[in-house]
Amino acid sequence: MSLIVLLLAPLAGAALLGRATGAAARTLHAAALAATLGAAAAVVVGVAGAGTVTALDGLLRADALSAWMVGLIGIVAALAGAETLAGFGGAAGESRRFYPLFHLFVFTMLLAVTTDDLGLMWVAVEGTTLASVFLVNFHRTRASLEAAYKYLLICSVGIALAFVGTVFIYFADAQRIGAETHALRWTTLVRWAPQLPPAVVELAFVFLLVGYGTKAGLAPMHTWLPDAHSEAPAPVSALMSGVLLSVGIYAVLRFKTVVDLAAGPGFTRRLLVLFGLSSMAVAAAFLWAPTNFKRMLAYSSVEHLGLVSLGLGFGGLWGVTGAALHLGNHALAKSVLFVLSGRIRDAYGTVEIPSVRGLLAAMPVTGRGFVVALLALLGLPPFGLFISELMILGAGFQEGWGPAAALGLVLLLVAFGGLLRALHSMAYGAGGSAAAAARETLTWKGAAPIAIALSLLVLTGTAWPPGLASALERVAAVMGG
Amino acid sequence: MTATTNLLVFFGLVVTLLLVWRQSWPARVRLFVAQSILLALLAAAIGWLAGKPALLVVALVFLGLKAWIIPRILWRMAAGTPLRALPPGHSSGVALLLAGGLVVAAYVIILPITATATLPTADAIPLAFAMSLIGLFVCVTGRDVLGQVLGFLVFENGIFGLALLATYGLPGLVEAGVFLDVLVIVLLMEGVVMQIRREHDSIDVDRLRELRG
Repeated sequence: MSLIVLLLAPLAGAALLGRATGAAARTLHAAALAATLGAAAAVVVGVAGAGTVTALDGLLRADALSAWMVGLIGIVAALAGAETLAGFGGAAGESRRFYPLFHLFVFTMLLAVTTDDLGLMWVAVEGTTLASVFLVNFHRTRASLEAAYKYLLICSVGIALAFVGTVFIYFADAQRIGAETHALRWTTLVRWAPQLPPAVVELAFVFLLVGYGTKAGLAPMHTWLPDAHSEAPAPVSALMSGVLLSVGIYAVLRFKTVVDLAAGPGFTRRLLVLFGLSSMAVAAAFLWAPTNFKRMLAYSSVEHLGLVSLGLGFGGLWGVTGAALHLGNHALAKSVLFVLSGRIRDAYGTVEIPSVRGLLAAMPVTGRGFVVALLALLGLPPFGLFISELMILGAGFQEGWGPAAALGLVLLLVAFGGLLRALHSMAYGAGGSAAAAARETLTWKGAAPIAIALSLLVLTGTAWPPGLASALERVAAVMGG
Repeated sequence: MTATTNLLVFFGLVVTLLLVWRQSWPARVRLFVAQSILLALLAAAIGWLAGKPALLVVALVFLGLKAWIIPRILWRMAAGTPLRALPPGHSSGVALLLAGGLVVAAYVIILPITATATLPTADAIPLAFAMSLIGLFVCVTGRDVLGQVLGFLVFENGIFGLALLATYGLPGLVEAGVFLDVLVIVLLMEGVVMQIRREHDSIDVDRLRELRG
């Protein structure tokens, strides 16, 4: 029941917002966001109590991993949605184009992580691209048009490759158990996985990892990501970077469980480590000397999703738990940063790092939030990313991936240096006329969501709230530790 | 059954190779339509011979979508562009040679699948996979956005053939979702391509170079 409400809330919001304008649209938008967040909380609570929640004859199913993703999507959607309510993000005046697609985008992501049918999951992941293409091209400039075209083409090709992988899995499955109608259900697959031919599922996993890895922004399939993330309006960038990439990883994980049961974990682990390191290397090369702060944040997403992939590849309880926690930490930190980058862009009228000076003096709230969130993103204590990065790299050394973990650490440090330099250049210095024009007024609507997200990050970095440890353990159990 | 499906997929592959060879846009769209009709026939044949009536419906929907609606959108997208992306005299021999290489590659990659397959349609699986690889090749090497979109559609067609041969069709809900997605992709592509043409007065992908680094 809670699952159906969870999917209906954004869907109904999208349908109704197509007709509403002005204050009515804002109220409706807020109501849809609140309903989505409430339903997400209900699903999380339900899963925490019963282990799994199902609906529609098992077509919709949420276990601990799904619930983790549902929670993240709910929080980031609320954060990004609140930004448009507070009047930022450049959606004003065109709400009829913006709001329906925003909620449709949220709906497709939620469907992808709550369906048990891996074919339907594929349809939903493709749907995330389709719902967000026009959001990427929202400003209708030449650059955003190019970004939208690349995004649509590269992600469609990637996701088609994932479809090939899905067909191979279905092929292996249908040969063994006959064409049962539920043969593409994850629960069915896990039950039959030990009998599936290893060579076929390994081949399938290559296609699935490349395909869904494209959506997750893993290098070398990441080329659409910096363009789309930097051209989209800030709240959309926050959703894309914060949770859309994680949905891609989620899809890989569902299949990883099946492949590991059929062919042993060595194969998937090697591939994940490989893609993780290549993503971190590509990101570090760019982050050493970034010039555009939205692209900088986008490449940092490539880096962090690479780190998640690395953690999943290292495996073990620490690696897998660390990766899951890192998805959450990254979602919080990066969505805050993208939301704030939109305000900086609006105020300074540029996304070039050298043109933004004296941010702390000119925009006290946004500036402080940006500095704190970026320090969190760099992996400094007391924020959650410090803990999850420690867990992932620790797992590497513990599970016998020493050289890979060491290389990952070096790449992290390279990115660290570049990001810190950019932060220093933006935060301080004489702002001049641009900074004077950028002076902001403080509103609780603009400050509260940022403060909440950052306090959550402190919580995951210092004192875990009750239930988080057991929740992560259960997430790791679903992934097959 | 084996003879029928093998023959249909073989013709499909020939049509795909012709599509690599031809440079004029109307000819390429007609070849795409021919490929789609062959695949619809394949779906109908498998549905008939394997006793799966649902596949006949899939064949009809596929025919309507890929041989009628999508080609119409493609014609709309191409209205007013020169017929050839390349100047005359430019040969597509190398492209054809590489496409031939992809057929061999398809046999090698797909080996684990054919080795375990006991289906009467198994022999044709590598051919369908080759079709999709060639489509991907056309997409990646496309010089203008039309070529890239067409390549993607050929790629997608190949995957449809692959799914048919390997699994006799996916569950209905998934199949319906796939068709809907493809239609929306093409419609979105049309919107984007139209806007690219308005902005740049050309659909050359070389013009798309604003975003670097």
